Amino acid sequence: MISFEHVTKRYGERLALDDVSWRMDEGECVVVLGHSAAGKTTMLRLLTHETQPTSGVVTVGSFRSGRLGRTHRALLRRTIGVVYEDFRLLADRTVFENVAIALHIAGHFEDADVTPKVRRALQEVGLEAHRDLLPAELSYGERQRCAIARAIVNRPALILADEPTGALEPRSAQEILALLLRIHREGAALLVGTTRAEVAEAIGGRRLVLADGRLTETNGASPDAKAYMPPASSGDPAPPAGGTTPVASVTTAATAAPAVADAPAAAAPTPPPAPVAPATPTSPDAPGQPDLFTNPGGGS
Amino acid sequence: MHPFHWNEAWRLFRAHRGLALTSVVSLTAALTLCGLFLVLDHNVRQALRALGDRREMIVYLKDGVRESERTVLEDKLRQYFGEPTYVSPKEAWARFSEQIADRELLQGVDTNPLPASYHIRLKPELLSYTAMQQSAEQIEGFDEVDAVRFGGEYVRQLDELSGGVRLATWAIGAIVVFAIVLVLYNTLRLTVLARRSQVEILLRLGASDRFIATPYVIEAMLQTSIAALVALLAAFMLRQTVGMRLHDLSFLPWTSAVGFVVAAVAVSWAAAQAALARILRTIGS
Repeated sequence: MISFEHVTKRYGERLALDDVSWRMDEGECVVVLGHSAAGKTTMLRLLTHETQPTSGVVTVGSFRSGRLGRTHRALLRRTIGVVYEDFRLLADRTVFENVAIALHIAGHFEDADVTPKVRRALQEVGLEAHRDLLPAELSYGERQRCAIARAIVNRPALILADEPTGALEPRSAQEILALLLRIHREGAALLVGTTRAEVAEAIGGRRLVLADGRLTETNGASPDAKAYMPPASSGDPAPPAGGTTPVASVTTAATAAPAVADAPAAAAPTPPPAPVAPATPTSPDAPGQPDLFTNPGGGS
Repeated sequence: MHPFHWNEAWRLFRAHRGLALTSVVSLTAALTLCGLFLVLDHNVRQALRALGDRREMIVYLKDGVRESERTVLEDKLRQYFGEPTYVSPKEAWARFSEQIADRELLQGVDTNPLPASYHIRLKPELLSYTAMQQSAEQIEGFDEVDAVRFGGEYVRQLDELSGGVRLATWAIGAIVVFAIVLVLYNTLRLTVLARRSQVEILLRLGASDRFIATPYVIEAMLQTSIAALVALLAAFMLRQTVGMRLHDLSFLPWTSAVGFVVAAVAVSWAAAQAALARILRTIGS
């Protein structure tokens, strides 16, 4: 699904990634752990083709770095659900519209098509009751859940999350991680970039440790994990007491505590999870949600 | 184009009313100038056409041309040059006499010195100076013809005036097209930059340039439509005001008015497409 082959990325004189090679299979869960400026965000930006490697090859499905035009780049991004630390929601649109925009971008405009999909996505993240609110009217946790709903509404085969809990207090962070894990268990591959060891432990899966642009792959808990814990004065909202609040006790959303004040809709009945499956392949010029693995346009 | 894009255009319009209004006012100014010149051009053309209708060619016949020869000549003139009207020496003298007030002078002339002639109302395609010159040379080549007159200098000046007005209209048109492109480019650039963060989010979600650009293009076309209609209204009102003094001044025919609006909107469409392609490339990857 994803492969990095001897990828180096420089920003001028600064070396962001240094000869990094790794791969990730379909349906896998991988956490990229590293301190600030270690190269995590660069790695995720390379995956979405927001930037190009200085050398080496990045492959996502059948899309290879190097020669993607704007059309194919847009097509690639429609195949991936991305969750950002700062949510990146459209401020002048309601929760419903923020989620629906991902469907519109994929070429779905009819209400009969859009409304059920958006409602399902909002139900999955427990935000259906807030569908008519603007992002400014939501808590940070709810905003991130809205962003996750937007990321999953097209049923992508791959979810990228760049520090998804970075702006959240611990309780909301737990809920978001539980949500991401549930989405992963339903079939989507999950790639999370984080500076926090507790997030990596909560997510589980395979762990890649990045330090100064170099990669160390480990399995299971990293003995160096605490080296990446943010200091108490790091500026994160509501840092965990003592810096070691266990997030590893995350449960799936179906069993999450409904009494969480920040997530009033968490207890809302959640419909049976829809299978995460790649949609019908389309031509590069047509809107729609292409198959990550069969699009011919990305290969070079 | 889906209604979604129209809703998005309306959302843009509401969010940036000030910019939209500035754009409409600027476009209206440029299009009003163009509209006024079109009205002027239309009226000059009408006047020239009226003058052109009076253009005729006089073909003087040699003395002693027989009736049968004259009939053959008349057929040739009708076939190739226009509608000939025969003026006999007697009729020519009568017309001349009407124009001369001094009766004693006329009585001093013993014999009628005027030749027979044909007055030809030329075909429309022969009304330019060059065509008339060529026609005169060809007609002079006929055996029965003594001389041909058509007021060459007068015709040349009319043609030059007509060409000058046409050139000025094209020049004004080009300036207005440039103004439309400039106004729309800068307005769109400001609007897109004001929404830069949102455009970047859409790009990261996989939106194509077309998806992002369509609402802006719709908005630009709507602004230009409004500006063109206001410009036509302004030109019409001015015509009404000036028309009080100049009774022959007419407004554009409705086909030209519709064409004016359609052309302005088409230019705005092309300008907006080009501008957005350029702007979106500068915004991001």
